[in-house]
Amino acid sequence: MVSSAGDLALDYSAAGVPVRDDLRDAHRTLLDGLRRPGCWFTSAARLAIATESRNAPHCALCRERKAALSPEQPRGAHERTRAGRDLPDAVVEVAHRVRTDSGRLSRAWFERTLASGLDEGPYVEGVGVVTMLAGLDYFCRALGVPPFPLPPPLPGAPSRHRPAGLRSGIAWVPILAPEDASGPEADLYDASPMIPNIARALSSVPEFVRLLQHMTRSHYLALADMSNPAAGRAIDRMQIELVAARVSALNECFY
Amino acid sequence: MSGSFSGVSVDLSAVNGPTGDDGGVAHGVRLVAFVDAVMSGDDAALVRERAALRSKLTDEARVDTCATVGAFNVVDRIADATGIPLDAGMAAMSVAVRAELGLSRFASAANTPAAANTPG
Repeated sequence: MVSSAGDLALDYSAAGVPVRDDLRDAHRTLLDGLRRPGCWFTSAARLAIATESRNAPHCALCRERKAALSPEQPRGAHERTRAGRDLPDAVVEVAHRVRTDSGRLSRAWFERTLASGLDEGPYVEGVGVVTMLAGLDYFCRALGVPPFPLPPPLPGAPSRHRPAGLRSGIAWVPILAPEDASGPEADLYDASPMIPNIARALSSVPEFVRLLQHMTRSHYLALADMSNPAAGRAIDRMQIELVAARVSALNECFY
Repeated sequence: MSGSFSGVSVDLSAVNGPTGDDGGVAHGVRLVAFVDAVMSGDDAALVRERAALRSKLTDEARVDTCATVGAFNVVDRIADATGIPLDAGMAAMSVAVRAELGLSRFASAANTPAAANTPG
């Protein structure tokens, strides 16, 4: 996948090392995606969600919750950015919690969030924005590069597209199975014999399935290589998996 | 805790924190220390660990390490925010490893049915 984002110039110079072209392309593609309208949010709203999530580690409520034995105990309002001032409370909650304390999210929290007025589609789109940006920001932090500025929004209206064939009951959110993918989603998944749940998780907003594929292919391994223990990059597979597992342990991620 | 990866014995305990040795993974100590520094928010530690990693890995390898950190900060959040269960095949294969690492202590373990904790 080659991005349409040639105007997005990303500065990696602070790293002092060459950065692979496929990584650069993935980053441009991600930021290009964030500046466009999505299924449910305008481009301005998506960028506001991104800005909120990036600021979340500095939010006093998030810090208090992170330190608390139960994340549900500290009450209060999130500290908002100027960009996020008009976002619904539930959207800000998603942006902050998914960024700062995703390991302690619960089904009860998810259901409360939806009950407060956020539909499943916008929820998934918000999760997509927050998670992708988190990955990009952590890459930059690890490499020693300042976080890339978010681009200005591009015009257009949300598509309000909901894929046919979504099924509920597997996860908290509806999922599109490969065998049910049709129409615009017919090519959403590749021909691998096994498409794991992580690859399907954001499928109610198909853009993020494609973005995740792009991200994992360049930052980790292609799906087809994941079952190959000899697959690796300049670090070998064991090193890759140690790094991955340690990140996941620190994020308290069971999956 | 140990496991076998492609016929090579590795020490899994480093996943849960520094152990003082590489555990069968080349530069494992430095990699874990680097990840911890990235994730901790401690900028001074990160500067230190980045320099330490520079002495061990090529530029390409360091970029790949950073890319892996980025990738798993995406997928971890997606998994936990969508409540996806562990895939059945992986669940069956990983019962012992998950038990050894104590992964059921994580809240997101609730998203995978308890039956998945029975060896396949």
